[in-house]
Amino acid sequence: MESSPLPLPHPQNESNGNHYHISKKSKPSLISESDLRLEFSHHDPSIARINNGSFGSCPASVSAAQRHWQLQYLRQPDYFYFNLLQPAILRSRTLIKDLVNADHVDEISLVDNATTAAAIVLQQTAWAFTEGRFKRGDAVVMLHYAYGAVKKSIHAYACRAGGQVIEVPLPFPANSNEEIVDEFRRALMRGKANGSRVRLAVIDHITSMPSVLIPVKELVKICREEGVDQVFVDAAHAIGCTDVDMKEIGADFYTSNLHKWFFCPPSVAFLYSRKTLDTSPELHHPVVSHEYGNGLAIESGWIGTRDYSAQLVVPDAIEFTNRFEGGIEGIKKRNHGSVVEMGKMLASAWGTNLGTPPKMCASLIMVGLPVSLGISSDSDALKLRTHLRENFGVEVPIYYRQPKDEEVDPITGYARISYQVYNTINDYYKLRDAINQLVSDGFTCALLSK
Amino acid sequence: MDSDHRENGDSTHNHVSKKPKLSAFISEEEIRREFSHHQHGIARINNGSFGSCPTSIIAAQKEWQLRFLQQPDDFYFNHLRKGLLESRTVVKELINADSVDEVSLIDNATTAAAIVLQQIGRAFAQGKFQKGDAVVMLHCAFQSVKKSIQAYVTQSGGSVIEVQLTFPLNSKEEIVSEFRKGLEKGKSNGRHVRLAIIDHITSMPCVVVPVAELVKICRQEGVDQVFVDAAHAIGSVPVDVKEIGADFYVSNLHKWFFCPPSVAFLYCRNSPLSSEVHHPVVSHEYGNGLAIESSWIGTRDYSSQLVIPSVLEFVNRFEDGIEGIMTRNHDNVVQMGKMLAKSWGTNLGAPPDMCASMIMVGLPSRLCITGEKDTERLRSYLRVHHGIEVPLHYQAPTDVECAPRDKDGLITGYARISHQVYNSFDDYCKFRDAINQLVELRRTCKMLFTE
Repeated sequence: MESSPLPLPHPQNESNGNHYHISKKSKPSLISESDLRLEFSHHDPSIARINNGSFGSCPASVSAAQRHWQLQYLRQPDYFYFNLLQPAILRSRTLIKDLVNADHVDEISLVDNATTAAAIVLQQTAWAFTEGRFKRGDAVVMLHYAYGAVKKSIHAYACRAGGQVIEVPLPFPANSNEEIVDEFRRALMRGKANGSRVRLAVIDHITSMPSVLIPVKELVKICREEGVDQVFVDAAHAIGCTDVDMKEIGADFYTSNLHKWFFCPPSVAFLYSRKTLDTSPELHHPVVSHEYGNGLAIESGWIGTRDYSAQLVVPDAIEFTNRFEGGIEGIKKRNHGSVVEMGKMLASAWGTNLGTPPKMCASLIMVGLPVSLGISSDSDALKLRTHLRENFGVEVPIYYRQPKDEEVDPITGYARISYQVYNTINDYYKLRDAINQLVSDGFTCALLSK
Repeated sequence: MDSDHRENGDSTHNHVSKKPKLSAFISEEEIRREFSHHQHGIARINNGSFGSCPTSIIAAQKEWQLRFLQQPDDFYFNHLRKGLLESRTVVKELINADSVDEVSLIDNATTAAAIVLQQIGRAFAQGKFQKGDAVVMLHCAFQSVKKSIQAYVTQSGGSVIEVQLTFPLNSKEEIVSEFRKGLEKGKSNGRHVRLAIIDHITSMPCVVVPVAELVKICRQEGVDQVFVDAAHAIGSVPVDVKEIGADFYVSNLHKWFFCPPSVAFLYCRNSPLSSEVHHPVVSHEYGNGLAIESSWIGTRDYSSQLVIPSVLEFVNRFEDGIEGIMTRNHDNVVQMGKMLAKSWGTNLGAPPDMCASMIMVGLPSRLCITGEKDTERLRSYLRVHHGIEVPLHYQAPTDVECAPRDKDGLITGYARISHQVYNSFDDYCKFRDAINQLVELRRTCKMLFTE
């Protein structure tokens, strides 16, 4: 009596074949407004959820697909392990390879999140220092606005093993790509001073806080010109948010979370590792298991017993995006258009400014908060965020920007607003009105310190 | 958040007792319902590999997952840390650890091995250990642990000593004497034994190892650190980390403790070296101690770590709670093992007191098991044609004179049968009959079709 898998709900999910397709053309019927509401009906209705950037979102139909996989496993885990898991992981990886224009599916590994990808890349950097292939003092260059966890990872792995860190200061508010390019060049020069080499450049595609779209293609080119060994693009936000083309961008390593802007459940990310003619970099998953030595993609496909279901619903997420006009491309364009519109609306209502020009953002934008709120520290920003959540039902991350000495009445606080398909204009009105009320009440962050 | 790490700090935590309530125990019918999602018609006698999770725990997990999806920021800021601390506190009490700081929640034992071995690797790299200093492990250590040792120890210049265990086993003394020999080897030529990795319950072949005794020997012989890989232990044998006395102790809660995939605890005895131990996925909490680092390793689904209090409630619905479950599983698996060995005319791989909820049963020599390909074939055949899920082990005979035999020849194959609360006598009868049928039909492994 053979263990047969449960019949899966979607016609293209055949158990015996490699039959799958990504159709970027719209299907006969596009998702209706009411279906869209239903897909996100599990979102807390009392909250204006304008923070898709932090934790993403997952439509009900993709969650259902995930539960189906979870049940398959629980039903007969040995059969699942021996017969279902690896083909399903390969399927997801293959779809992602096509999505991001990678050459070969070997180049695509699935991991939990960008944080894990960073550990993987940095571990090989650390080995190179330990084994003497890199000299003490050789540099790792990163952006000042690199994600906190990644900064810590760079210190834990690279610095510990003997590397030095060079931070690229970036102006904020941002005005142009040229500013970023200039600072980056200067940082590379610093890294190459005294006969050192720059062994790794870690570049965000979209920085987290403050959120700015970085001209990665240009920076990667400069890295190549300046003899940087390896380039790692931390693009946690990018997929489903901005254009992601591995060959265009040309980095050695590139990671992005699919649970942020690509409708997957928590959590799944891909790590792209470029195959070169000579030896590919030896990346390993830090959780070593049976597949050690068989390449990162295969190693990552089994790192001990755990729930891999989030990695298996990539086909369902793609199918979801194809229910929208223009598929994921259409979603990206409309999200961008809407978030810029909302950002301008808020800046206008508050008499403030945007943190970046529209072309330097994707589906997130920084909007200056009124000076009277008195945001004077990171702690103030967090407290204000909590205050908005608890007293106004608005979820939005706040960024504290340290003012420069000469500035008069500087804007020190920015809201990072996101726009995703489930958002409506009312979400942003709620934020607008909350801030206006705080201002008119004479509220300052100092009042929140108890 | 860090100030919550006192043993009696969290006054809002409802202390969950280890003793069951006095109300009626879970009925047979309720147990069946709790596992009704298991595929019908399958004799699932392999709880050891992937464990099992009752529907009420799956439901509890879904609640946590939904809470995240509903409002993830609120979940992250207001619920996650508290929930993890509650889970860790339950575990601390279960395993008799001194402090909740010593208890970290991670994915599985494989992850724990990476954590422990990475710090060993760093010590070699930094010159704290000399090249050639040794790591001692059991020969039958789990394969992923062996590879982890290769990746982190061998790569960094450490040497590896494998302790051979005879199998079948007759007594604990056999293990102890081989272990002593292994330590001697590790210390030869002026080397230090920096780490001993000891399984509490080996995987294949499966035996319960006298860990407390081996840890004591390690201390006597000047081994720096001891790491007990107890993937199977919790919910299977009593676990008292103070009694066992190891520096590191890991066990998977999704195997025998009814948690969903996946969650394990890694106990790290408080020591001056504790700050050297890190989760490999470095995030915001780096440097705040392993337990806190592990509580946030980037956005992911932590729900399986959050249901541990619910699982404690579940096991307390059984007579004598988890102790009762362990005792009954043990008695049943021994009984079933003996039943099978008798029916097939074979043997048990270890005496009952060296087993917990799993036991190794010799397979008839007539099946002609001559290597792993044969056991894989037979295992697939049993799954596909008989709906029986059971892992099989090939044991090459070392000394043909004293090797175990049945009436037809040498016994070279063993089945590792498990017993968990959802198993029934029928499961083992099915297995018994399938093997007898093969023997009667004079089918050997090489003749089996697995499609």
